[in-house]
Amino acid sequence: MDPQNMYIPYLMRIEKIIDEAPAVKTFRLKFVNQEDAEKFSFVAGQFGEYSVFGEGESTFCIASSPTRKDYIECTFRETGRVTAALTSCDVGDIVGFRGPYGNIFPLEKWFGKNLLFIAGGIGLPPLRCVIWNVLDLRDKFGDITIVYGARKVDDLVYKYEFEEWLKYPNVKLVTTVDPGGETPEWKGEVGFVPSIVEKIQPKGENSIALICGPPIMIKYSLPLLEKFGYSQDSIYTTLENRMKCGFGKCGHCMVGNVYVCKDGPVFRYDELLLLPAEY
Amino acid sequence: MKKIKKSNFEKMVNSLLQSGSTIIAPVLKKGKHYFSRIESFDKISLDYCQTVLSPKAVYFPSTDSLMRYENEHNNVKIIEVEVPKNPVIVLGVKPCDAYALSYLSEFFLKENSDTYIQVRKENTTIVGFTCTHSDDKCFCTSLNINPFDTKGTDIHFTDIGEEYYVESITEKGNEIIKNFNTMFEDSQTIDKKEYSSNPPIKFDLEKIRLTDKFESSVWLDQSLLCLGCGACAYSCPTCSCFDIQDESNPYSGERLRCWDSCGFGLFTLHASGHNPRHDQSNRWRNRVFHKFEYSVKNLGIISCVGCGRCIRVCPGGMNISEHLAELATI
Repeated sequence: MDPQNMYIPYLMRIEKIIDEAPAVKTFRLKFVNQEDAEKFSFVAGQFGEYSVFGEGESTFCIASSPTRKDYIECTFRETGRVTAALTSCDVGDIVGFRGPYGNIFPLEKWFGKNLLFIAGGIGLPPLRCVIWNVLDLRDKFGDITIVYGARKVDDLVYKYEFEEWLKYPNVKLVTTVDPGGETPEWKGEVGFVPSIVEKIQPKGENSIALICGPPIMIKYSLPLLEKFGYSQDSIYTTLENRMKCGFGKCGHCMVGNVYVCKDGPVFRYDELLLLPAEY
Repeated sequence: MKKIKKSNFEKMVNSLLQSGSTIIAPVLKKGKHYFSRIESFDKISLDYCQTVLSPKAVYFPSTDSLMRYENEHNNVKIIEVEVPKNPVIVLGVKPCDAYALSYLSEFFLKENSDTYIQVRKENTTIVGFTCTHSDDKCFCTSLNINPFDTKGTDIHFTDIGEEYYVESITEKGNEIIKNFNTMFEDSQTIDKKEYSSNPPIKFDLEKIRLTDKFESSVWLDQSLLCLGCGACAYSCPTCSCFDIQDESNPYSGERLRCWDSCGFGLFTLHASGHNPRHDQSNRWRNRVFHKFEYSVKNLGIISCVGCGRCIRVCPGGMNISEHLAELATI
């Protein structure tokens, strides 16, 4: 394989498929060629172009942690041609993967700090990569608080992992569903994510907040974080603009002169404020 | 500096054709000029104002095969595409288009270099020509490009009557002069301006200053004529945005890179339905900002060359030169 040709994907075999939520699946992918596996590495925050041969490519984050070697995971919702083709794949099928692309969450700068994760719906996968990365290095960080909401109970992803997260010391998980989305058995909160953030009153001192989800959730959460003492440079998000190439050429993800794919997808709030609101 | 008699120029081109070089030059077809591959000298028509499309596709084809694959019984095999390495000469390139080619190679090769475009550029010789015909859509001079500039060419010709005045710009240009040294004679330096077109300056570039105009209502006003058809981008010599699509049979296929346009609503549409540039005024603003602000921030180059093609081709009557003139006054 010509290393200069960035369009040639790795071949990956689907090892495991998890039905997360209606129309949402997680794939665990392993490299078909061992030498690809050996030279591949990534850092939390990066993403890739996943492809079904004959249908095209689609952009998702890497949802597994770089501390878990030998495989990568992605979580996607069926919305278009490529995700529909992925949805109909079986264990053992071969898909393509290009990456990793983009910048990273600077985990090493956060050693010793408390971490607050705020996620909505299918915004959890990029943060789940960081959550497992942080849990695998548990003693490097302070308290971990995760606020995760979805429209309905069914729409929550990674439900089967929540218990595992909570086995680690000083991890707090607050799950919520939008009003009307609860079931009789639901034991979590009912309410929109920003109102739950307000309720738990996180403390911004010596803390980092990571937020990913629908634009409306982010819009109403940011002022609350500032109110609770999070400085603009301690709030991180990851943008998910439409992308094609992944390395700053196709132009789709541009926000101002910034390419989300190569200058992002991870941005601090203070960096985001300098961009035109085209994300 | 050199000069060459027109009869010798013809002999040189025919000799290059005979030696197997691919020559792409302006050809007249049904009243319009197109860059096409020529088989003989007499097909070349240098007497043109503007070709329908620029020679952009020599570097960056409208549809480019990135790879092929076979996918039988879930045994995927990727077949890399070999970009042809035969020498290509593009002849009759005007300064606006040559400038655009130099922008494209800067953009595609500076960072995360594109292997397909790199191979093509290495094997392509750009033979520039001083522009002799302009029309009311041309505005290169308003962007500090002269119709006799040599930027982006390997060798540059200026029609001075019975002869061409010749400037070699790169090693590839030197090679041509060396290979045909009996045909080239030494020449005095001339003032090319006397032999070139001279499109009038239409606005003061310095006064456009977009940075403060992002929120202006001017974008909505100007974009009312825009249909979002993308014709401007497809005819633009510097537009570089693309889409990636698969084309396939059940057991084999091809991954293609195709020209795309930020003027399309689908260009930025998220899977969720959210669209960061949700209406045509946002998209028009992006087009102007990309060319006059973002390219300058990222590469130090304005990525518009004033060729006027987008004006000639627009079915809605959008006129970027008039729009820029308006932006320079507000």
